[in-house]
Amino acid sequence: MQATVEALPEPPATADPSAAPVFVAVDGLSTSAAVQQASRVEAMLRERYPQRAATVGVTAWEGGEVVVRPPGAATPSDPGPVASPMTGGGVEGHISALAAVLREGVRQHAAGIALVAAEPHDETADWLGTLLAPILEGEFDYVCPAYLRHKADAAINTGIVYPLTRTLYGRSLRQPLGGEMAVSLALARRLIDLPDWRRDPANAGSDAWLVARVLTSEARVCQAWLGARPRPEGQPEEVSQMLARVLGMVFREMERHADRWQRVAASVPVQSHGAAGVLEGGPQPPVERFVATFQLGQRELAPIWGLVLPPATRVALQRAAAMSVESFRIDDSTWAHIVYDFAVAHYAKLVERRQLLLSMTPLYLGWAASFANETRDLDAAATEARVQQLCGTFEREKRYLISRWRWPDGFNP
Amino acid sequence: MWEKTKQIFLDSIERSLAAIAGFLPALLAMVLLLVASTLVALMVRFVVRRLFLRANLDQRLRAWGVAAPASQGRASPSMTITRFVFWTVTTLGCLVGLSAFDATGTAAKQLLNYLPKALAGLAIFVVGLSGSRALERSVLISAVNAGLSSARVIALGGRWLVVVLAAAMALEQLGVGGTILVVSFAMIFGGIVLSLSLAIGLGARTTVARSLERAFPSTPEPPKEREKNGDAQSGEYHHM
Repeated sequence: MQATVEALPEPPATADPSAAPVFVAVDGLSTSAAVQQASRVEAMLRERYPQRAATVGVTAWEGGEVVVRPPGAATPSDPGPVASPMTGGGVEGHISALAAVLREGVRQHAAGIALVAAEPHDETADWLGTLLAPILEGEFDYVCPAYLRHKADAAINTGIVYPLTRTLYGRSLRQPLGGEMAVSLALARRLIDLPDWRRDPANAGSDAWLVARVLTSEARVCQAWLGARPRPEGQPEEVSQMLARVLGMVFREMERHADRWQRVAASVPVQSHGAAGVLEGGPQPPVERFVATFQLGQRELAPIWGLVLPPATRVALQRAAAMSVESFRIDDSTWAHIVYDFAVAHYAKLVERRQLLLSMTPLYLGWAASFANETRDLDAAATEARVQQLCGTFEREKRYLISRWRWPDGFNP
Repeated sequence: MWEKTKQIFLDSIERSLAAIAGFLPALLAMVLLLVASTLVALMVRFVVRRLFLRANLDQRLRAWGVAAPASQGRASPSMTITRFVFWTVTTLGCLVGLSAFDATGTAAKQLLNYLPKALAGLAIFVVGLSGSRALERSVLISAVNAGLSSARVIALGGRWLVVVLAAAMALEQLGVGGTILVVSFAMIFGGIVLSLSLAIGLGARTTVARSLERAFPSTPEPPKEREKNGDAQSGEYHHM
């Protein structure tokens, strides 16, 4: 995916920074939805930044690669794998649009480059302004999105991705794999010059790749709360497939940046923009079914888990499997060890990687059931405090991760 | 008379000695071939073992689920393959040695001609056996994730299906059983497919219909409605 178009002329050095151009790309599974969203984004940009030259593009699949086209030039019948920010990179059938978006933004010398989802966003929030402002005001290089979610929602993020990313890279991004993003021109230039696009095209451009690259660099990072999460199009992905996909991306980046994260001792919060929070109420996960799957996994997958987990963790899991649904708990320390041991097994290839990641599903469902039991009667603030407590445990247990990572075959009772 | 007896006796000894003289070089050749093949087999075993150790074959095969975990106490895959290579080379040496005798040449030639088929049959069976183990693990994980309480039975069923299929293919390669195997297999597989079709058609028709409706909705939710609902009010539980 090399750029085939010439760069626009460089703007004069004396040009007013407040009039620097903005580029926003809309990406989604449906071209028609993306075109509709592009027209909404154009109107919002005109209203919010009347002095700036704002360009909106729509991602499309043409000639075997993802390209960015003006909304009017996008053809709804384009065949081929469609780019989607929610699933970009490392997934068969989904090609990351990030490379094309960054190249187009750099070509236009845009001061702010954003990638947004085609699904309608929360109309009660100034989501586009919140996403772009930190970049256009020159304070930050990367804005990570965060959304208002129900307290029990997004357990993969709450239980694995958030604590793990925070522990590894030392910065507290609440929803690291949001899918959307905004970057400065300087950061975009650095990103497209990276050799990963050539060396590891399957993973380069994924959400996890972008976040890991940014957090291991000197880029100035913040997060923007964009209101309620856009409802994803299409059928929801099956949980084991989703877990394998997400963890595959995160563990791959963990391997890539192993020399960096082993030197990070603690985490610091990042600046937040927009109204942060957690939605009250919301759906409760089917705890009984989750616990039943965990118990089935404990009965049938113990030989596979035995290749990954040390005896102490396996004993803790046996005890958990004997609990009733109402009292079902997996303590934070055990859960952190499980996540770390699976990351090490993925790195050391102790079990075939796809099978390894899929075999983690019952463990994840067990943790999700435990978390739902613990937070059922808590309000939003108390639930968030509970999540922070979990992150604290992940950070305290980081020495265990480093030790296992360096000596995967070492004695581990 | 004594002279005649002596002559017959000497002729007999001469014929025996001549026969032994004719036999000895072949025997010597066979012994030399056996010793040489054993030496070659030992060398090949050493090289193969070193190669497998360097490639970390045992750990890789266990990671892929092709070989049983070390905790099950079975011989390691590299040891099994090394032994197989050693005995194959030794057996080949024996057959070549036997061909040194004119009298047994035909049998040795027949055995040598059969050897490629035997090796191909064995290879088919070994690949099937290894693949069946990987398949068993894969099916087991998928069935557990789907919450099927009979996950172990389904996984074992899948594994034995592959093992039996591989065994049948190996036997066909060896020329054992002839068309009986093909007919038996056609009957068994046909029976299984028919049983599954009936079971799904009669017992799980509504479940299949619901799954198809979820995968390919006949009346998709209109965009306006989706927009109004949003993710916050969807009432669905999301893992990510």
